[in-house]
Amino acid sequence: MKQWMSIKNLFSLFLLAWFAYGVYEARGYGFLAKIFPMYVSLVLLVLAIVYIAIEIVQGIRKTGGGKGAATGSDLSVDWDMPLEEVYVAFMLNLGILIGVYIAIYLIGYPLAMTLFIFLFYRFMAGASWVASVVAGAAGLGFMALASHVLGMDWPEGLLKLPWPLG
Amino acid sequence: MEAFFQALTVLLTPSHLVYLVGGVTLGLCVGILPGLGGIVGMTILLPVIYGMDIQNAFALLIGMVAVIPTSDTFPSVMMGIPGSSASQATIMDGYPLAKKGEAARALGAAFTASLIGGIFGAFVLSLIIPIARPLVLAFGSPELFMLAVLGMSMVGVLSGNQPIKGIIGAGIGLMLGAMGDAPAIAEYRYTFGFDYLMDGISLVIVGLGLFAFPEIIDLLIKGRPIAEKAELGRGWFDGLKDTLRHKWIVLRCATIGVIIGFIPGLGGSVVDWIAYGHIIQTSKDRERFGKGDIRGVIAPESANNAKEGGGLIPTFLFGIPGSGSMAVFLGGLLILGIQPGPSMLTENVDLIYTAIWSLALANIFGAGLALMLAKPITKLTIVPFRYLAPFMILIITFAAYQASYSWGDLIALLLVGILGWFMKQFGWPRPAALIGFVLAGNLEQYLFISVQRYGFDWLTRPGVIIMAVIIAASLGASIVYQNKLKAAGRTAAKK
Repeated sequence: MKQWMSIKNLFSLFLLAWFAYGVYEARGYGFLAKIFPMYVSLVLLVLAIVYIAIEIVQGIRKTGGGKGAATGSDLSVDWDMPLEEVYVAFMLNLGILIGVYIAIYLIGYPLAMTLFIFLFYRFMAGASWVASVVAGAAGLGFMALASHVLGMDWPEGLLKLPWPLG
Repeated sequence: MEAFFQALTVLLTPSHLVYLVGGVTLGLCVGILPGLGGIVGMTILLPVIYGMDIQNAFALLIGMVAVIPTSDTFPSVMMGIPGSSASQATIMDGYPLAKKGEAARALGAAFTASLIGGIFGAFVLSLIIPIARPLVLAFGSPELFMLAVLGMSMVGVLSGNQPIKGIIGAGIGLMLGAMGDAPAIAEYRYTFGFDYLMDGISLVIVGLGLFAFPEIIDLLIKGRPIAEKAELGRGWFDGLKDTLRHKWIVLRCATIGVIIGFIPGLGGSVVDWIAYGHIIQTSKDRERFGKGDIRGVIAPESANNAKEGGGLIPTFLFGIPGSGSMAVFLGGLLILGIQPGPSMLTENVDLIYTAIWSLALANIFGAGLALMLAKPITKLTIVPFRYLAPFMILIITFAAYQASYSWGDLIALLLVGILGWFMKQFGWPRPAALIGFVLAGNLEQYLFISVQRYGFDWLTRPGVIIMAVIIAASLGASIVYQNKLKAAGRTAAKK
């Protein structure tokens, strides 16, 4: 049963739970709002159960055949590293993004993004100080241009700064 | 006919041309970066076209969609990595040619083939419009509903490695699309108590989350430069002559491209393989395929540009996108206040012709620019991804925030992005989800109009029954034949 704890299968279970919630939640809606989500999530729930059943049967067959559990064998992405490392790297990159989000919340979008580009160039990509400063400035320039010419907006931070920094 | 020429005058106004070239240039850039195909490029444009003049916005979108199958040839030939899913087969012979020092010949042939294929696609589109008119206008809500279901089931079944995953994938899009206010009545669904979700999730968020976010993360994890070296070699003119010499291959494969583009669901990821398989099967001397035969470049490239013309037919006339990038294009039309579907033929026929002219012109600009800028563009392919990554993160967060100017946009981008990453890892087709998302609103509307107007009698309308039979047959057939087809395509490619 160990292979059932793989992230691949947890994702299938997540989908199952999502569709089940879809059915559960849709029961309370008025008729016109209900028909579409109700039928869609019902059909999906059935399909997800069928899919998981197929996976279980195939899993048992594979282990029964003595070849061992082939978890993650039908991944659509070919990695040249162990899956565990991929997940760790994914979490790391996700962590960096969340860090950027927190910085945006604190000091506002333009300053946070400029700093992010600068730090990423200097420490993640190993660029020179000059190149990192130029890259950060280019990012800020892009934001200023997009906001000025295209009338786009960005999230303000807790710290209020003059345009184009805040 | 009047609309046809009226559209030409619109096309030749300076502002239209400027936006068209703008779209073409952006499309060139997006096509070159591996992994970021037309879907991401078009999605980034969506916030830009809010409130823009319809004709100009149109030029921008068409310019981009037309040129991506041209520019994605660069990474395929230079590095053996597909620039987008439509140019995978080009690698088979394009990359060996580049290794032999004949990258320029491969690119020259590819751009010429793209140009001819693209114009052919536009030409067919212009012929189809008057012919299809009476048929399309006979479609009511029940038929449109069934057609949308047909489109989605085809997308689902054909785009994944397992049909059931494809259908669930399309369903994931429907579930995302069902969030927020119901179209028929003032009621909010699946909001989890967040005000942000009352308007539903924006297409920009879903497009960027499902497609851009996972690619950026994966490229960061892999962390390698995009290309090892960038040498074009010689033979631009030889490539051009190659294509002209094989003009019948170009026309045959362009025809294949249009037909496949027209069928919802087949679209991008198979058109190049079918054209490639076709050219191998119909050639007498097959030994050199896979080792750098120029015909192996010409065939997929003429087909993948032609498919955009074909793909616009169901998108415009029925509001049913045939591929992921057409789904975003459809979303763009809705933002501009244009409702695609049979009414396009009575109310907005001039727009269709503008699209046709723009498509043809964008292909000319695209091939021309790609030829002229080949040198600097090739240099761009050796820039390591880690130098591009922070700017891509900047662009996608910036574009996502324009959806509703709220923190919810950024958080939704992250969450949909995580969903997209897992879907990518575990082989749940994301284009199917995107098409499901875009179609959710229309599907729901067609469904309750059908139920309200006809009761349950809508199920007995002849058009509906015919379509139901087609859906059942195509589902059954594709489940049976899909593996055979794929295996045949792969062995053909290996030979």
